[in-house]
Amino acid sequence: MNLNTKQPRQQVTRSDRLYILVIEDELLIRTMLCEALRQEGYAVIEASNADDALGILAVIVPDLIVTDVRMPGSLDGTQLLAKLRKTNSTLPVIVTSGHLQHLADRTNDHTHFLSKPYTFETLINIVRRELRG
Amino acid sequence: MDVHTNQNVPSVLIVDADIVSRHAIADYLRGCGYAVVEAASTEEALIALREPRLSIDIALIAVVETETKNYFELASWIRSNFPDVKVKLAVNINRAAQSAAELCDDGPHLERPYDPEMVVDFIKRLRAGA
Repeated sequence: MNLNTKQPRQQVTRSDRLYILVIEDELLIRTMLCEALRQEGYAVIEASNADDALGILAVIVPDLIVTDVRMPGSLDGTQLLAKLRKTNSTLPVIVTSGHLQHLADRTNDHTHFLSKPYTFETLINIVRRELRG
Repeated sequence: MDVHTNQNVPSVLIVDADIVSRHAIADYLRGCGYAVVEAASTEEALIALREPRLSIDIALIAVVETETKNYFELASWIRSNFPDVKVKLAVNINRAAQSAAELCDDGPHLERPYDPEMVVDFIKRLRAGA
């Protein structure tokens, strides 16, 4: 393979697609969810925990974040959300968890709390609504 | 539910603890037409390999310097337990990009989406801006 071959190529930069950062520690759920979002035409970045998410957020600001609550690492999803909101109050965030009853009343203009189990269709509808506006 | 809609597309498992390089390599391989599964650790890689719905054909393992033993053990374990899975080890991002480019040459699409050195430059630029 010749790495120096010069051919017209598209640039590796942030594309025109909308970026979604998905933070989910269960590999199969994360893979399926991200695949479903990619099929909708979104560019998707996968993070397995909040620490990884902070690593990518330092270099790319996505258009929307989907995060689980219970995850290994130094922060859970709600702590990540609180940290994010200190610097960005308008970035749409969808928080998913099986233990959201106490958080449901905190849904507002830019933060959605979605109880597990949810269908991808439900989540994608929220994503579409958020990113359309 | 099957994870990949087109079962004829080969699946590549990328094992890379670095989210920036993992995302860039995964994006590149998707551009080459592969179905890509991203694993952030050797533990996630084992889950992916054991999951029949993911049907992994190729494992591209980016070795983490501090955990070299784990990653070489993973490669050895895959070769023993999943002999049909092709294993590619990469010891740095340049090698990972080169391995991805080689996969592209054999991949479902005829052309690479862009030069592999662009992937490396992109990762370096992202890291420099962090």
